[in-house]
Amino acid sequence: MKRITRWGKTLFVLGMGMSLVLAGCSTSNQNEAKSTNTSTSTDTKTKTPELEPYEMVVVMPGTGDPKDFKEIEAEINKITKEKINTTVKFVPINFGAWAQQTTLMLSGNEKVDVIISGLGTYSQQVAKGQLLPIDDYIDEYALGARKVLDDMDPLFMDAAKINGKTYGIPSVHDLAADAGFTIRKDLVDKYNIDLSAIKTLDDLDAVFKIIKENEPDMIPTTKYGNTMFDAFLLGSIDNLGDGFGVLLNDDNGLKVVNWFETPEYEQLLNTVRRWYLAGYIDKDIATSTDTAQNIVKSGKAASWLQHMKPGTEQQESRNSAKEMVSVHMKPAIATTSKIQTWLWSVPNNAKNPERSMMFINLLFTDKDIVNLYDWGIEGKHYVKTSTDNVIDYPAGVDAANTGYPPGLGFMFGNQFLSYVWKGDDPELWTTMGNFNKEAIKSKALGFTFNAESVKTEIAAVTNVANQFKIALETGTIDPAKNLPEFNKQLKAAGIEKIIAEKQKQLDEWAKQ
Amino acid sequence: MPSNKLYQWIINLVMLAFSAFCIFPFLVLISASFTDDMEITRNGYSFIPKDISFAAYGYLLNDAANIARAYGITILITLIGTVAGLILIALLAYPLSRKEMPFRNVLAFYVFFTMLFNGGLVPTYLVYTNMFDVKNTIWALIIPGLLLNGFYVILMRTFFSTSIPGAIIESAYIDGAKELRIFTSIVLPLSTPVLATIGLFLTIGYWNDWFNGLIYVTDKQYYSLQNLLNRILLDVQFLQNSQDGISSELAANIPLKSMRMAMAAIGAIPIIAAYPFFQKYFIKGITVGAVKG
Repeated sequence: MKRITRWGKTLFVLGMGMSLVLAGCSTSNQNEAKSTNTSTSTDTKTKTPELEPYEMVVVMPGTGDPKDFKEIEAEINKITKEKINTTVKFVPINFGAWAQQTTLMLSGNEKVDVIISGLGTYSQQVAKGQLLPIDDYIDEYALGARKVLDDMDPLFMDAAKINGKTYGIPSVHDLAADAGFTIRKDLVDKYNIDLSAIKTLDDLDAVFKIIKENEPDMIPTTKYGNTMFDAFLLGSIDNLGDGFGVLLNDDNGLKVVNWFETPEYEQLLNTVRRWYLAGYIDKDIATSTDTAQNIVKSGKAASWLQHMKPGTEQQESRNSAKEMVSVHMKPAIATTSKIQTWLWSVPNNAKNPERSMMFINLLFTDKDIVNLYDWGIEGKHYVKTSTDNVIDYPAGVDAANTGYPPGLGFMFGNQFLSYVWKGDDPELWTTMGNFNKEAIKSKALGFTFNAESVKTEIAAVTNVANQFKIALETGTIDPAKNLPEFNKQLKAAGIEKIIAEKQKQLDEWAKQ
Repeated sequence: MPSNKLYQWIINLVMLAFSAFCIFPFLVLISASFTDDMEITRNGYSFIPKDISFAAYGYLLNDAANIARAYGITILITLIGTVAGLILIALLAYPLSRKEMPFRNVLAFYVFFTMLFNGGLVPTYLVYTNMFDVKNTIWALIIPGLLLNGFYVILMRTFFSTSIPGAIIESAYIDGAKELRIFTSIVLPLSTPVLATIGLFLTIGYWNDWFNGLIYVTDKQYYSLQNLLNRILLDVQFLQNSQDGISSELAANIPLKSMRMAMAAIGAIPIIAAYPFFQKYFIKGITVGAVKG
């Protein structure tokens, strides 16, 4: 059956293609698109109380798709069928293929009703006109979703706005980040390390020294993400999108500065260089592709610097198979780019945006859907434990053989509705909600930089940064010699033009 | 002659060293695939694993159905693609090699032109998905970019026009053979070297292709082996570069490094095994221009 329709479609499209070529394709194409649009809108105007059945395609990132995903999709469909008479087809796309495939899908006018936006491309997608402004739809169909975010702080919805319009609803998870230091607990106990004494990065030298002297096979610290402190900084500066021209968190004057020229940056580099020379960091660190957790798991390293959130200790303990403790060294800060990482959007060419919004609303309000997606099917992928709201693997199932490994809950709507995995704080989501609520809001929260006019400069500056950043920020090369060179090349590549443009846009934005 | 012998020795040694450079990385790859992942993290790669572990293969076996399917897809597209590609290339190259062919140069330029310019990714994608609807079908892995390559057409045309003497075709014509008969009974049997060469190019092209899968396939059932491997690699890369703390949650519990090596080994071995059978044709096969003895 499917085969026949596909062939039929091919023939039809070929035939139509021919006639379009004859008739002058661009105009007729538009007419065709218009006519479908009007027919859908009339459909909804004459909307009976009963919703028409609708099939929806939801595109989101994932890693492969797990064995049992079809079953979970079927379960979710039972709920959506009942509540909004909609069947949902999930199209998970690998993270690695995400940017390429979604760009093509959106350019190709394929059937996509709901898509996750963000991952660094939100503003570009908006600039290309690929996402639908959804303010009116939110008021009508997704008030539940809005309320969840507004209850924490209305600023979170504002942060998703571009030029005054909303193009996506941010997923509810950790919308802010603080930063600190994470280390193996057994080592802390063994050497009586006083974690409460750690206030600045300079206090870490003493800790590293103890480990270096007593654990000959171990490297005291390693990188998290690309460099020693890239992730650590997420919790202290607002990088205004691309990191070229940033706001320092204590800056109230909305003054964009060149981060690489600040004394703070130089000081960080010197600290890291000192660690590197003292042997606290692996010599190969610049080229290593291991995750910090894996390195610690193998017993090769003891600690790292990272950005944090409530529950970091449990999360990292689970991932590195060693008990970890963390020192939170900086207050939490919420920035536009952090909030714009995971948003739920409706593509501009969605056939039935009303229904898309109803589905998005369910993601933020329906506990069953959220838990199905986050954890799988009760009894099969998880069981409830004696503690309320806490779940664990069923007997005989573990991380290695489960048909649905958990892990993407932060992305799927309202994470606060999901259960908590055993080992996490049962009150995790309440704590997280307060964390979001109380985080320092960057003065530029809601400002999205439009990089269009300085595209060439950004490409050039990015090249320079790729050349220097990792080597400098891992201590591999001497900052005294290379930082001035780095800055010289950044200038030659046009970083000042980017900063000036950013400042201009920021000032205009602040005036509104 | 002693100097000649010395010369032979030097040549042999250089070739041995060169072969070693080619083979050693592959040995490391295979050995790494049998090494415990944590040991690789601790001590780096080595020829002889200290902790032998089959965890990587075990993990892949867990997903055996997908990998077997990906294998099947790869073999299928390689077979269909190579055969169909050879037929199409030969059918296009042969007429272009005959001087009697009208508009020969115009057509040859048309082929040549595709080597220099293309429409770009988005338009290509739109044509293949909107006009031909190959998205998420087996054809998506066979047709775009691989099936008919201008360079191969020119290679084959050159072979036809330089290696098949016009006199043979003429005499066959006089003996009463028509064009199709000449092509199948005379030209093709005389052209096995170029057919084998381009056949091998196509085979390797199809076997190694991941790009079509990356672009045109979102449905797991059409993942080819290289596409699957590439997706795993890209995912790992993405997760490592992301600072959003998601890396760990997904990457934990997977023997990442040894698994990558295991997949690479699985992916490469069949094509390596096939290579020696084609190799002898190579010597005669490639003639782009000039004269080759």
